[in-house]
Amino acid sequence: MRVIIDGKECEAGYGEYILDVARRNGIHIPTLCHSGALPGQGSCRLCIVEVAEAGKKKVVVSCLYPITGEIEVTTNSERIYRMRRNIVRLLAARAPSGEFIKKLREEYGIPEETRFKVDEKEKCILCGLCVRACEEIGLSAISTVNRGTTKKVAPPFEEPPEDCIGCASCAYVCPTGAIEVQEFEGKRVIWNRAFELLKCAGCGRYFITRQQYEYIKNKHGIDMKEPLCDRCRQKSTAEKLIHLL
Amino acid sequence: MTGTPNNSGKTVLVCCGTGCLANNSMEIYKELKKRVEALGPGFAVRPVLKTTGCNGLCEKGPIVNILPDDIFYCRVRVSDVDEIFEKTILRGEVIERLLYLDTSTGRRVRSHKESEFYRRQLKIALRNIGQIDPASIDDYIERGGYNALKKALFEMSPELVISEIERSGLRGRGGAGFPTGYKWRQCKRVNSFPKYVVCNGDEGDPGAFMDRSIMEGDPHSVIEGMIIGAYAVGSKKGFIYIRDEYSLAVRNVSKAIEDAYSRGFLGRGIMGSGFNFDVEVVRGGGAFVCGESTALMASIEGRVGEPRVKYIRSTEKGLWGQPTVLNNVETWANVPVIIDRGADWFAAIGTDRSKGTKVFSLVGKVKNTGLIEVPMGITLREIIFDIGGGITGNGKFKAVQTGGPSGGCIPEALLDLPVDFDSLDRAGSMMGSGGMIVMDETTCMVEVARYYLKFLSEESCGKCTPCREGIRRMLEILEDICAGRGQEGDLELLLELSETVKEASLCGLGKTAPNPVLTTIKYFESEYLAHIRDKRCPAGVCRKLTSYRINTDLCRGCGLCAKKCPAGAISGKPGAPHIIDVSSCIVCGTCREVCRFNAVEVIGGRSE
Repeated sequence: MRVIIDGKECEAGYGEYILDVARRNGIHIPTLCHSGALPGQGSCRLCIVEVAEAGKKKVVVSCLYPITGEIEVTTNSERIYRMRRNIVRLLAARAPSGEFIKKLREEYGIPEETRFKVDEKEKCILCGLCVRACEEIGLSAISTVNRGTTKKVAPPFEEPPEDCIGCASCAYVCPTGAIEVQEFEGKRVIWNRAFELLKCAGCGRYFITRQQYEYIKNKHGIDMKEPLCDRCRQKSTAEKLIHLL
Repeated sequence: MTGTPNNSGKTVLVCCGTGCLANNSMEIYKELKKRVEALGPGFAVRPVLKTTGCNGLCEKGPIVNILPDDIFYCRVRVSDVDEIFEKTILRGEVIERLLYLDTSTGRRVRSHKESEFYRRQLKIALRNIGQIDPASIDDYIERGGYNALKKALFEMSPELVISEIERSGLRGRGGAGFPTGYKWRQCKRVNSFPKYVVCNGDEGDPGAFMDRSIMEGDPHSVIEGMIIGAYAVGSKKGFIYIRDEYSLAVRNVSKAIEDAYSRGFLGRGIMGSGFNFDVEVVRGGGAFVCGESTALMASIEGRVGEPRVKYIRSTEKGLWGQPTVLNNVETWANVPVIIDRGADWFAAIGTDRSKGTKVFSLVGKVKNTGLIEVPMGITLREIIFDIGGGITGNGKFKAVQTGGPSGGCIPEALLDLPVDFDSLDRAGSMMGSGGMIVMDETTCMVEVARYYLKFLSEESCGKCTPCREGIRRMLEILEDICAGRGQEGDLELLLELSETVKEASLCGLGKTAPNPVLTTIKYFESEYLAHIRDKRCPAGVCRKLTSYRINTDLCRGCGLCAKKCPAGAISGKPGAPHIIDVSSCIVCGTCREVCRFNAVEVIGGRSE
């Protein structure tokens, strides 16, 4: 199936998202709430593009718009640029202190916000990736709570979450570094809950929380005799393979 | 006036909708019932007492309607019960003072059906409301209920049902006006089971109660519509999503479902056919956004009520990823009538592209408020001035807000606009679910826009950036303008943000949210400029930008304003012009309201 993106002819599979086709063809579309590992959400709206189909133009999010016919996509028209710039401005007014937002603001030449009230300390842009990641792991220990302007990400009742295993996947996927993780003296603190860290049996480095180790063991039925970090596990597998050869 | 002294076969309908109940109508019903039960054996034919659903005339409630003479009493009190029983029920006499007052003629009419308010209406979706006891399935059947279902099941193929709905031109009454028949056909075409039908009863617009009235007053019409729809698309399971605040609607719909099961209209082998269908009520938590179809489905599934993108339609992947037809309460209520009376009959009503009728809740500064059902294509002028009876207190019309919080404000110049889906869209507003708020000269349009954006900023689900952050910032600007902190460039910024929110938002809530701002800027720009540049609120609403002055030429010195002023800011000798002390005035507007000589003038904010 052929589509035209910014004048360039591209090959796309039926139902493939515009964003994926564009990236494969070296066309840059900015994203915030997109992660290749998680299902799309379409919440940040940064990846909006213009689609012309049967003579009609519409604005869609490229991360979730499936290609099902011959369409022409414009990723950076004047109109799209103007709206994307507004979205960056709105995000920056909400959460100005994240590095990624600062970079975007520079890219779009957005001056220091003077018209709106700004909370300088806020980092979260409410993209929802953390919630999605936790859901995908199968825990849903955190969720968005409230709605409208009071919406935020929090564990139930804003207490240290019972279902959390301290894996910090939420912090890992966060594009703006809004979720705080502290590690010290063999402990990891996240969402106001402290988790005991286990050492790698190979290199002796702290690398996993006890709850995470147990969860993986139970969920996947993998009985690791002793916890091994990614590197040491690879090493031990490789050694086993050598013996076999 | 005296009626025929005939007490045989009388039916007394006591409105027990939410509004009338709040005004003690259940007590009226019980008192009447006591007296009827106490009647001696000399009465061969006893009067039948019934409670009905909401007549949509809540302002005039409690309502008691006596059939077959159709004597319509308004604002009935418990203390009136004896008189109604003795005079009207037993002797057929009419009690003049309780009759409906027709504001257009100033005369009381025996049946409100004789009034200008009623005569202009055409009841299809509201056909049974006020006439039947919603708790009685027999009442519904007596008025032709479940005939359409029988016809569909035994005389029509699913295909024929769909083409009948298509030919009728019925469009979704929930707001967007999507062609109902086409939606059903899309769903039928998808070869994936199970399929679901859903009724959207999450009516969240402030001041709107069309759907509530139908669910409370005629629940079987919705259920029958859904069974027919399910038969047409091949679904076996339906959900009626009702916001939990509508407790009476939840109760009446649940009772109706129970009764429909017991009569074999629901369940296995409906009416002896081979068709099975189950339906259940789901109670919503009352979030405005859950009226959005995909958020509603998420809510039914037990997830957070947030919408998803609709590039793949719900008719293909809806509830639990299965093909789903979701229609609004009013849409479902129209279905049995269309099947029963035929597409041609329905299509003859309304305009070329908007068929049938629409229910509106007409509220605000009009003389007659309430639920109205009118043919599509009627003009706003007819609705407001003929049915509504014009502006209260002989004030001057300023604007009408249609379509709920994210609808637009339509000015006087467009009063002859026909009310249909497309005309309202073109005027920058929308049909929405049918809210209609009339505003007069004492309304500040900037404040109106601010009010609606405040509502929307709180009710936005907060999932996508343009809606959550955009509305919030637009509200911030409007609050500034209303408080006298408006800046040059604010209007341009509002327009630019509006474009982004409208185009880039995820769901219908965001996509329509800028409408109140866009239409007020388009039609009332000078009012914005007066706020921003002259620091003056022409309507005298925004307190920071308003002060009052008494026009000494007009003031007769009656002293009423001084008497009513809660701040004691007005002084003057009787018979001589009074003066307002601006420094102690709290700008409440009472003086302006009470002055009979229009002597209180609105001027700009006091300089501080």
